[in-house]
Amino acid sequence: MANKAFGVINSAANYIRVEGLHDYRPIGAFTFIGRFRVIDFPLSNMSNSGINRIHVYLNSRPRSIVEHIGSGRHYNINSKRGNLQLLFTQNNGANSIYNTDITAYMENLEQIERMPQDYVIIAPSYMVYKQDYQKLLDDHVEAGNDITILYHKVDQAKEYYRACNVVELNKQKGVQSITRNMGTAKDKNISMDTYVMKKDLFVALIKKAKRESSAYSLADIIALSCDTLDIRGYQHKGYFAAITSLDDYYRANMELLDYATAMDFFKQDWPFYTKTTDACPTQYFQGAKVTNSMVCNAALIEGTVENSIIGRHVHIGKGAIVKNSIILSYADISDGTYIENAVIDKWVKVKNVKKIVSESVTPAYIKRNDVL
Amino acid sequence: MAQSNMLAMILAGGRGSRLHDLTNKVAKPAVSYGGKYRIIDFPLSNCANSGVDIVGVLTQYESVLLNSYVAAGGRWGLDTKDSGVFVLTPREKADSGLDVYRGTADAISQNIDFIDAYDPEYLLILSGDHIYKMNYDKMLRFHKEQGADATIAVRGVPMREASRFGIMNTDGEGRIIEFEEKPAKPKSNLASMGIYIFTWKTLRKLLVEDMKNPDSDHDFGKDIIPVMLNGGKKLCAYEFSGYWKDVGTIDSLWEANMDLLDSDNELNLDDTSWKIYTEDSGIVPQYIASTAKIDGAYINQGAAVGGTVQRSVIFTNCKIAPGAKVIDSVLMPGAIVEEGAVVTRALVAENVRIGKNAKVGDKKSEEILLVAKNVKGED
Repeated sequence: MANKAFGVINSAANYIRVEGLHDYRPIGAFTFIGRFRVIDFPLSNMSNSGINRIHVYLNSRPRSIVEHIGSGRHYNINSKRGNLQLLFTQNNGANSIYNTDITAYMENLEQIERMPQDYVIIAPSYMVYKQDYQKLLDDHVEAGNDITILYHKVDQAKEYYRACNVVELNKQKGVQSITRNMGTAKDKNISMDTYVMKKDLFVALIKKAKRESSAYSLADIIALSCDTLDIRGYQHKGYFAAITSLDDYYRANMELLDYATAMDFFKQDWPFYTKTTDACPTQYFQGAKVTNSMVCNAALIEGTVENSIIGRHVHIGKGAIVKNSIILSYADISDGTYIENAVIDKWVKVKNVKKIVSESVTPAYIKRNDVL
Repeated sequence: MAQSNMLAMILAGGRGSRLHDLTNKVAKPAVSYGGKYRIIDFPLSNCANSGVDIVGVLTQYESVLLNSYVAAGGRWGLDTKDSGVFVLTPREKADSGLDVYRGTADAISQNIDFIDAYDPEYLLILSGDHIYKMNYDKMLRFHKEQGADATIAVRGVPMREASRFGIMNTDGEGRIIEFEEKPAKPKSNLASMGIYIFTWKTLRKLLVEDMKNPDSDHDFGKDIIPVMLNGGKKLCAYEFSGYWKDVGTIDSLWEANMDLLDSDNELNLDDTSWKIYTEDSGIVPQYIASTAKIDGAYINQGAAVGGTVQRSVIFTNCKIAPGAKVIDSVLMPGAIVEEGAVVTRALVAENVRIGKNAKVGDKKSEEILLVAKNVKGED
């Protein structure tokens, strides 16, 4: 059945920057718990909600996302009755303040205006959560709101979610303001940068933002419309992660090492789709010691792994110890190496350096392809 | 058939009764193997990797699951405009009634129309129950170089075991001069792997004649190959030396799984230049809990291990509770071993639950125990 809404998957705002990982790919292409990519989550949410016309916005370094998404078939999108459109935007000049989502929407306005659906659901590609958008849409239509914003109530807004927006709600869940999280209080309603509205309103807001300022984002123009439009908050419950810094990325992955949390998030009735690499199962050798860890396929484990996430085709050598770390695909941790509290990017070889430890809360980051 | 002009037919027919309860509902080629695969993934992936684009899968036993599995050719990349996987079961035709496949050759004969539709120059015939990686394109090149009418893949087996196989006697230059099915006194140790390449025109003619012969068993080994040898056709032996295992029995299926625990195993499923493709369930990585102890294991994504695993192969979505032990065993997809249970030298079938504190299998037993039904626990 054709859905009344089409989907838009947006990139992260230009002021969000994840140290290290971001040098090589957009956040949507970040590996999540070893085998997924962050963009798999909004795409699967849309697909599972019956949305089969989806616009995916790509700006800088789109290769990894394009390769990963492909035709969209592995997201259960059939090209004859729906499609995933990858929409590219040019980088506008030297100054990144012009690289807003509004610029991207303006460049592709014709595609947006041509969509036959009356509604649009806009979701970000830097957040991980599960949400039935059909239910969100139904409630939005029934309530007669102009815009519905998905938000998540957190009690760690002082330490985390620093690049996110905060929604201020009145008793009727009406959105009174949207402001940047300044870390002033621990309890906040974090905007999940996910919006439902009529397509016509979406187009009108894009045009209005463009007229007002070249630096405005969609969130900015919605924030400025709190007085004139009926904007309501819709509370999300369950696992939620905003990948806006290396700390957030690390913490979001580690939270899923809690098996109960992971099983509540990954349920058979709401599959998260991803591209398969056809990797074989993982080999544990005699002498391997693995506890409280998620391990992806085709890994070779000879050493010790504790509280860690091990990506595909990772080798952990004899006598090596990996603790509280995320090791991305194809990394090779040689015999006798000690790694604690680190994010090791893809294809890294740790052989001569025998110890990588971060003492602070922020994990150590080792660059992609590095040989240490 | 853009690439090789060779079409493949996989003989996937048998009931596989020596696999007992594993094949009650599924054809043998669809039986699970190696943590995430099904047996038929091997010939299908080999075809895809060798540039053989059209594959017919011949079966008459419990074809439903096999059909739903292989018809999604996309799993092996066999889903372009010029490629496809087709399950061919016996069917009623205008000029004959509905008939079962009477033998391996008959199964091909009854599908001559399917093959003709693609007009291939060569026909590759494969078994659906062998675990191996092989480049059929290399074999085809050999077939062309030899100018053969048929090429049969062979492998050296220990002389004392040769009498269990179909043995090819060659003239020293690779030409087959004699074929003996399970000879009491084998003259050579070159055993047929049940992999044939035929020049289609030649074979087609022989199949049409064979269909009319009331004395024929319509079998490649018993009828077609001897007729070709007697008729002076050129048959060549193509020697293969890599890993190859017939997984027709519980013991051999268990053994083939166990082979994967050896890091230097010849099959090397880790080789990204010759991937074995299979269904992907988009499931979470495997989770190894704080209580787990793993000592030599081959484990697939989706499994959750809280107990002890020693020298075992654990498939997708298996759960091993804290305090449970799995030793020298194979747990097929979705098998559950509850707290305190011990599984030793066993093959636990799909979705079977071993209850609390239950003990199954025996480390001294020569044969591997097949556990195909839930085992009740004890409190």
